[in-house]
Amino acid sequence: MDNIKEEIRQYILSEFLPGETPANLQDDTLLRTSGVLDSVGTLRVVSFVEERYGIEVEAHEAGVENFDSIAAIAAFVQSKKALA
Amino acid sequence: MDLELTEEQQRLQDAAIEFALSELNDDVIRRDREEVFSLAGWKKCAHFGALGLPVPPGYGGMGLGINEVIAVMEGLGYGTRDQGLLFSINAHLWTNTLPILTYGTEEQKQRYLPRLCNGEFIGANAASEPDAGSDVFAMRTRAERRGDCYVLNGTKMFVSNAPVANLFVVFATLDVRLGPMGITAFVIERDTPGLKVTRAIEKMGLRTSPMAEVTLEDCMIPAASRLGREGRGVGIFEASMEWERGCILANYLGVMRRQLESCIDYVRKRKQFGQAIGKFQSVANRVVDMKVRLDTCRPLVYRIGWLKGQNRPATLEAAVAKLYVAQSLIASCQDAIQIFGGYGYMTEQGLERDLRDAIASTLYSGTSEIQRNLIAKGLGL
Repeated sequence: MDNIKEEIRQYILSEFLPGETPANLQDDTLLRTSGVLDSVGTLRVVSFVEERYGIEVEAHEAGVENFDSIAAIAAFVQSKKALA
Repeated sequence: MDLELTEEQQRLQDAAIEFALSELNDDVIRRDREEVFSLAGWKKCAHFGALGLPVPPGYGGMGLGINEVIAVMEGLGYGTRDQGLLFSINAHLWTNTLPILTYGTEEQKQRYLPRLCNGEFIGANAASEPDAGSDVFAMRTRAERRGDCYVLNGTKMFVSNAPVANLFVVFATLDVRLGPMGITAFVIERDTPGLKVTRAIEKMGLRTSPMAEVTLEDCMIPAASRLGREGRGVGIFEASMEWERGCILANYLGVMRRQLESCIDYVRKRKQFGQAIGKFQSVANRVVDMKVRLDTCRPLVYRIGWLKGQNRPATLEAAVAKLYVAQSLIASCQDAIQIFGGYGYMTEQGLERDLRDAIASTLYSGTSEIQRNLIAKGLGL
């Protein structure tokens, strides 16, 4: 789980927050509602986790409830992997 | 990054220039005035290979890499005065053919790509709507799943090639509440019941590239017509835009080069007050500015090819190029008219058409305002 969080953190830092101090992106930092990820950015994160973890994210699963923080994304990925 | 064309790229560009100069300049003034698309020119472009530049030979294309495509487009832009035709080719290639090549099923690719390459099918793309332009993902055209079919309803705006197109890539939402995650792409043939090309749209420039509104009224299509997965239309749209932004500008490098050469030639020959007008600093400075613009635009466009050729993202770089080349093109068109004076304002000179054609470059494929947003986002702002 920690590994998943770290990989997602690195991806978001490099793709959406260039130059940001990594310590400022915590597990519970809000991503969607704070504007770090807009809807197109969220889709890029969705594609990243699908490819990286071999899961399929349905359209209705990519909302704020699963993609608003690193912790939420990691938990969602974990639950999808468990179902696979 | 090497800024020189390879021998192969130069050979392709030279061939494109020769082809465009000899085959694509018929009757442009009249066709521009009367808004006539050149089907004959389209067929010639198919024969030359321009309609399938990046498509693998197995599907009927030339199988060129992006740098080679850019080199060819630059050559076509230099050789033809019919920028509307090239605009139509860009719409066909980047927003219809390439999405099918990249995201289509094998069946879709086999069915459509050979015909898109050989000129039998003209491609169009329907994304914008009356109330969804720059905010394109706020589209309201609905795609409702019914068994093994989808039923589409909505109105699409600014659909380039629509009056002559045989095949449309259409974007619609499965559910507006899903936002961009609901947007899905479909491939729809023109004769599908419920798809209607309605109002033709008259334009300031690019008048030889036809445009219209498209309405979808209970347009029922098989599920096999979906392009890519449900809810992944945004990724398809964005990929198209990245290619288009890079390659549509390559034509304009050719236009800017042609204008620069003709201005240099003119200011050397044209004499006023007993000397060539190029000796007057005010005139020379305009030519210098045109040269500086061309030399700064060119690496920006080829950088996109260099990045995409290595499968690296180029969203920010494509936005930088689109923003800068579009404004440079318009400035150079105005300089060329000013250098030619009264003659530049005459229709027969072609420079006023170049300017009218250029004005749209800060609007299509994302306005300059949207390009600035993309760049700011890429900088983490």
